[in-house]
Amino acid sequence: MKRLFCLMLILIPSLLFLPVSSPAKVPGGTVTYAAGADPDRLDPANAESNPSEAVNRMMYENLAKFDEKLKIVPGLATKWEQSKDGMTWTFFLRKGVKFHDGTPFNAESVKVFIERMIGPEKPSRAGLYVPFVNSVEIVDDFTIKIHLKTPFAFFLNNLAHSASGIISPTALKTHGKDIARKPVGTGPFKFVEWIHGDHITLVRNDDYWGGKPNLDKIIIRTVKEDSARVMMLQSGDAQLIVRIPPEDVPRLEKDAKIKLDSTETLRALYIGINCSKKPFTDVRVRQALNYAVDKEAIVKNIYQGRALTSSGIVAPLTTGYFPIQGYPYDPEKAKKLLAEAGYPSGFKAKLWSPQGRYPKDFEMAQVVQQQLKKVGIDCTLDTMEWAAYLAATRKGPEENESELFLLGWAPSTAEARWILYPLFTTEQWVPKGNNRSFFSNKEFDELVTKFTRATNKAEMDQYLKAAQELLVKEAPSIFILVTKETIGMSKKLQGVINSPLELTYFDHQTYLEK
Amino acid sequence: MGRYILKRSLMLLPVLLGVSLVSFSLLHMVPGDPAELLAGEEANPEFIQALRKEYGLDQPLYIQYFHFISHVVRGDFGISIRNREPVIKLLKERFLFTLQLSFLSILIACFIGLIAGVISSTKQYSLFDNMSMVGALFGISMPIFWFGLLLMLVFSVHLRWFPAGGKGTILHLILPAIALGAASSAVIARMTRASMLEVVRQDYIRTARANGLREFIVIYKHALKNAMIPIITVFGLEFGYMLGGAVLTETVFSLPGVGRLMVEGIFQRDYPVVQGSMLLVATTFVVVNLLTDIAYAFFDPKIRYE
Repeated sequence: MKRLFCLMLILIPSLLFLPVSSPAKVPGGTVTYAAGADPDRLDPANAESNPSEAVNRMMYENLAKFDEKLKIVPGLATKWEQSKDGMTWTFFLRKGVKFHDGTPFNAESVKVFIERMIGPEKPSRAGLYVPFVNSVEIVDDFTIKIHLKTPFAFFLNNLAHSASGIISPTALKTHGKDIARKPVGTGPFKFVEWIHGDHITLVRNDDYWGGKPNLDKIIIRTVKEDSARVMMLQSGDAQLIVRIPPEDVPRLEKDAKIKLDSTETLRALYIGINCSKKPFTDVRVRQALNYAVDKEAIVKNIYQGRALTSSGIVAPLTTGYFPIQGYPYDPEKAKKLLAEAGYPSGFKAKLWSPQGRYPKDFEMAQVVQQQLKKVGIDCTLDTMEWAAYLAATRKGPEENESELFLLGWAPSTAEARWILYPLFTTEQWVPKGNNRSFFSNKEFDELVTKFTRATNKAEMDQYLKAAQELLVKEAPSIFILVTKETIGMSKKLQGVINSPLELTYFDHQTYLEK
Repeated sequence: MGRYILKRSLMLLPVLLGVSLVSFSLLHMVPGDPAELLAGEEANPEFIQALRKEYGLDQPLYIQYFHFISHVVRGDFGISIRNREPVIKLLKERFLFTLQLSFLSILIACFIGLIAGVISSTKQYSLFDNMSMVGALFGISMPIFWFGLLLMLVFSVHLRWFPAGGKGTILHLILPAIALGAASSAVIARMTRASMLEVVRQDYIRTARANGLREFIVIYKHALKNAMIPIITVFGLEFGYMLGGAVLTETVFSLPGVGRLMVEGIFQRDYPVVQGSMLLVATTFVVVNLLTDIAYAFFDPKIRYE
């Protein structure tokens, strides 16, 4: 009786206020999507964060696109052909497509897009095109040829990349770089407004070539605080939230109005090793580090199973992944290798980790610190704020003070080259590229060049596999795990795309049950 | 009075110059490169170089500083490195919002603080006095982050009376205003009580009572007005802090205020945004202090500004 009374006490006033806060009463299917960070730029070629890429995916489209399993399927091009020598690609474009500003989509718009990428403007993602594309040639209104400098096995992946969303040439001419806040694409949703730090509003594009989208309106809110996002979902203020912390998962699983979706991503979390510093110059030491870390325990205890242990740096869903025998947890073997390398009683080292950049990053580093101690490697663990962290690990080989450093990498092109090349080839040493480990191996560099330029799949696979095997053997990092992205949504929301690229977005088929 | 205000306003100039110099130096002293941060982990060196050039980050520091100051004088705060939005536009949007939130919070803080303080002082050591002072202690010591989440859990998730964050209607502002106002109300309550306790023992209060004035008039007209000087000081300080942006409240409730703009600007090394917001916050603080000083004269006619 007392409980009933309490319930009434809560229910009666809340009923009074229900019409004010209930989203179900909003007519026509508006979805509020709570993202974890502010987007940076809504210009695909210059967007550098997942929130921007996710929003761009709803407004812009590419010639080729990724499906949910990251296979390449037709987008604004209905089909394509590659010449025998691998140097020319011909794309047949979709007809009857219009940009949001009414400009028709045709070969000219593709030409403008490619020429912007390889031209003097140098957008931030120019690197996807400059090294490979020579020129572009209009065959007719709906056929275009792209001439390459060298054969490039993963060209279609670059075309499907978020950066390759095609912008209205008219809008690009009018706004220039300011297209970053006045986006115009061909996608199922059109841009309305962007109130910085608060929200972005998109509305249905009634002229969408794939049919009228189901959702009327999408509001993407920036909600930085993890627990606040979770509460917004529970209170019905948001119908979709991303980046759910593992500790909130059990509570949300019990909520009858909410469903969770967990996708394995392409993001590998690893501990980089500075291979230019003693004692890490010795491959036996690097292998010992790999044997000393118990990945299973990390996944089970720190991530509550919401991650996958990995034997290499390439995540299983990546194009060009090969399963490779990695390093099992074997502290005895680690000690033996250390002894062989001349460190029978271990050594002291520095371990760096960011805090809050990746899910449970610092917690993971703490466990690694303890595990390494068991084989005699005594690490001091330090953390830095992200900007300082990037700066410290980006210094050239002489002034770089890093030894062991936790980092994550997810290839935004979804293929293995964009892991192996930037992270481990000699020409990509920081500060020029992204090889923060100063790993250098001639055979590996050659294998990367060979699979990049391969023109048939068998040949490409052979080199790809060899490169990954060699990398695991040389162990320039402690390979640990691949993350999973858990999103939560209202049970009424159907057809949400939770891509392994860590992008969550809607297409014209996404709908909200009444 | 007019001359006094003019003189005080002129003093704003050296303050702003100092603030700009200190904030500029501090920002550039910490490691981290905005171009690299924007380019992300998959950075492309050519883009980073182009970006540095576009924003003049490749120039010597003193040139960057003079460039910044000479533009500020003309009312141009530059554009955000992160999202290309003019800083002045960002500041305007954010400040208007912070202003709304601060007004509501200070209203709540004054209402609770003054009433609790006055009642506590007139009924010293009563149950109400003890309870409200314990409440005030709680208000001061409670972390705003935790209190905000708690309010959200109770009133948004369980009761569903208010939305769980974001900008929108007045309903969106209530919970954050309570969270933000709670700590200030505690400070104001304690100050009111202390100041009132001193005043109610004065002879003129006894005289007022002897003249047969109603207790309500004695307390609220004669005593409170004379007790106001220290309360106003605290009020000015609290309001100044609120206008400077309440980072924690804004983060918990996902509100687009000046505080978050500044802190996120710092993490992104978005120099124009941080410098612009620093100047804004400094100006606000100086203006609120000036208004506080002017308010002294209103409550205490003995204070004259020549």
